[in-house]
Amino acid sequence: MGTDLAPTEIIALAEIVDDLDYFQILHLPRSASIGEVRKAFHFSSRAFHPDANRHLPSEPRCAIEKIARRVTEAYSVLRDPRRNRAYLQRLEAGKGKRMQLAEAQAEAGRQAVEEKGRTPQGRQYYSLAEADTRRRDFAAAARNLQMALTFEPDNELFKAQLKEARDQT
Amino acid sequence: MTEIGLGIDLGTSNSCVAVVRDGEIRVLANAYGDAITASVVSFKEDGVITVGNLAKANAIHNPRHTVYSSKRLIGRYYFSPEVKKAQAIYAYEICESENHGINIKVRDELFSLPEIGAMVLREMKSIAESRIGQPVHKAVITVPANFNDNQRQATKDAGRVAGLEVLRILNEPTAAALAYGFGKGLKQKVAVYDLGGGTFDISVLEISTDVFEVLSTCGDTFLGGDDFDDRLIDLLADEFSADHGINLRNDLYALEKLKVAAEGAKNALSFHTEVAIRIPDVIESDGKSLSIERTVTTDEFSRLVNDLIQRTFKVCDEALQQASLVTADLDGVILVGGPTRLPMIRSAVTNYFQQEPQSDVDPDQVVAMGAAIHAAALVNKDRSSFLLDVTPLSLRIGVAGGLAEPVIERNTPVPIEQTRTFTTFQDHQESVKIRVYQGESRRDDENELLGQFEFSGFKKARRGEVEIDISFEINSDGIVNVTAKDRETGEQASTTISLSSGLSDLDMESIIREARTQRIEAVPIDDGGNALEPRPPDPRAQLVMIGVMAQTPGGETVAPAVAAARTINLEERPAMNVSSHFVPDLEMAPDDGPTREEVVILSEDGEILGTSDTKPDLDEVEPSAEDLFESPGSDLSGPLDEDQEKG
Ligand SMILES: Nc1ncnc2c1ncn2[C@@H]1O[C@H](COP(=O)(O)OP(=O)(O)OP(=O)(O)O)[C@@H](O)[C@H]1O
Ligand SMILES: [Mg+2]
Repeated sequence: MGTDLAPTEIIALAEIVDDLDYFQILHLPRSASIGEVRKAFHFSSRAFHPDANRHLPSEPRCAIEKIARRVTEAYSVLRDPRRNRAYLQRLEAGKGKRMQLAEAQAEAGRQAVEEKGRTPQGRQYYSLAEADTRRRDFAAAARNLQMALTFEPDNELFKAQLKEARDQT
Repeated sequence: MTEIGLGIDLGTSNSCVAVVRDGEIRVLANAYGDAITASVVSFKEDGVITVGNLAKANAIHNPRHTVYSSKRLIGRYYFSPEVKKAQAIYAYEICESENHGINIKVRDELFSLPEIGAMVLREMKSIAESRIGQPVHKAVITVPANFNDNQRQATKDAGRVAGLEVLRILNEPTAAALAYGFGKGLKQKVAVYDLGGGTFDISVLEISTDVFEVLSTCGDTFLGGDDFDDRLIDLLADEFSADHGINLRNDLYALEKLKVAAEGAKNALSFHTEVAIRIPDVIESDGKSLSIERTVTTDEFSRLVNDLIQRTFKVCDEALQQASLVTADLDGVILVGGPTRLPMIRSAVTNYFQQEPQSDVDPDQVVAMGAAIHAAALVNKDRSSFLLDVTPLSLRIGVAGGLAEPVIERNTPVPIEQTRTFTTFQDHQESVKIRVYQGESRRDDENELLGQFEFSGFKKARRGEVEIDISFEINSDGIVNVTAKDRETGEQASTTISLSSGLSDLDMESIIREARTQRIEAVPIDDGGNALEPRPPDPRAQLVMIGVMAQTPGGETVAPAVAAARTINLEERPAMNVSSHFVPDLEMAPDDGPTREEVVILSEDGEILGTSDTKPDLDEVEPSAEDLFESPGSDLSGPLDEDQEKG
């Protein structure tokens, strides 16, 4: 295991790695699913994880370590659907290829709040349904989601959760 | 000669060493045939240092110069609550070193915590060397998953002082999962529930054949077996106070006796449903000596500690939530740590996770075994497994208003790096200062301070014209590295770290030099390369020593330094009979003494006052494998359900 690249190639890759976007780093199309992101992360880690490259001389090893840090960074952003979406928006807006994790997290948080309801009533019934689901009381969850949907009929998250709750009962 | 990498579990109470040889994982037993060795260091008057079981045995004569539970102190600041607590109850002297760190003072000599850790590590190294029959220089050392950067650095320093190249600092639960899943070709999501002497960790992992990916880890560094002991101590002390109007807690000497009795009784409750506690002469009042006699049942103990057990599940809720999983998603639950032998914990865990924990995992040895597997993977190029871990704590920087802003959130995979750009605040400013923290609070003073960094050496210009990129890096050991660069010139700024609990390179050099000249007493292992496997733990070989007190040769009465209760198999160890193990100057042939599954009550001078022969109620309880795993009752299910609802 470890990388097949020659030391000079490793050093060259480390130099350009900041010009690559996270999809390029993981060799993924922008449409990749979360499962594919995870597989790609494992694949890249096999090659670049510092544990797998202990035997390299110091210069290429430092370079590998930098690449490995970018691989995990890419994974940390792309493995979460909301962060992934925020990153795609960033790329499309041409705002740079690296995204601060804190920023990705903040964006994801904003999306999550929106998904959980734009209206106070929608949010309230949705949070009741969440508590029901944790208790595994799916019938009650379905009732609360139904109520949430009367306030926000087009909320995709509510719809998906309702379907899931019904499947469970 | 092939390269060898050891796996060392450097525990708070006990340490364990393992190695992979010829494709087989072997736990290496110490001179007494034990898989685990006490993490205790004792300094004798003649300058000789004793480590391990001998040191623990010696504690009774030498409590002020016997250092135990040092892992609770490693990498901590002098002002931290944990250090204050230790100072109040430990018999050895803890003092402040420069930079707010701590030193242990023994016989007018100062030792840093990494030096103490190194003594235990060197003992483990030498156990391994005698068992393997060749010198060893490399090791993977484990730490609680929730250890912060200061604690990890200090542990790594300890390894270096012990003459080891530390291949990796590895999280204990991750190591346990590796030992559990290695080479089995599993596709599973597992939880590792690790309750040690002083800390609780839970890690959730996804194993896909050879990849061990940690999804989340959470912990509580103030929750462990010791807290269970405290509940029993409180019970005994409160009842004593009600009966006699005397608070035993005010008498250090009586408190020590309570501690030994409580730990002994607690451990015995793993194997018996009822345990008798007898502490003769616990204290004197008006010239009359008073005693404690009390029976504790498993049910009663369960009620005493139920809230502590429930607290572990709050942490589990958090870990599952961070991993976006529910208990039903888990395929396995692995138990690690001494207290997980308690039937009430096993049944509560079964209840919470809705499945039986794995029973083929030894909670004392599994961590060292995992470390050994990883050490072998690191020294050999043909790697057959690899670990993807996370950082347990959020990394933060101090900002105006006493706040700390996250740069890298907890449970982010490592290695990772984040860069922030800073600019100067004044014209011709020569340096920038930042404070780096780890923790989950928005307030800076509620987090652990890793250090204050001062960067200088960039160009001088008007304010706002200099831009400095500061990189925060966390490597695969979970160790943090902060560097700065002038954005325009790309030149590395020079760094000064103040306020750090770590040792400087200069300190390290002199410590390593001194360590070479220390005289360490060794217990010879005579069967050299012919490795003796540790005895399997025998639940029947339970011996509880209660109320052990002793006098120094000088006539001064001393309290035992460490709770002396532990499993001893008397028959298989004629060389280390019970009395010599704890009270070395007592002469007592093992066949005269007690043998198996007994509660032993010792008087002040070591005389045996009674055994379970005189307490027949204990003999009626035949411990069996079922006893170990059976749930004691259903009274735990009520509060548990409530908890899950809230979480
Ligand atoms: N049979 C038992 N039943 C209950 N508790 C036990 C038993 N045996 C040991 N313990 C307790 O386990 C604790 C020590 O656990 P363990 O040896 O796993 O910790 P450690 O590895 O030294 O600590 P850590 O992992 O936190 O550094 C002590 O509180 C001890 O009293
Ligand atoms: Mg341990």
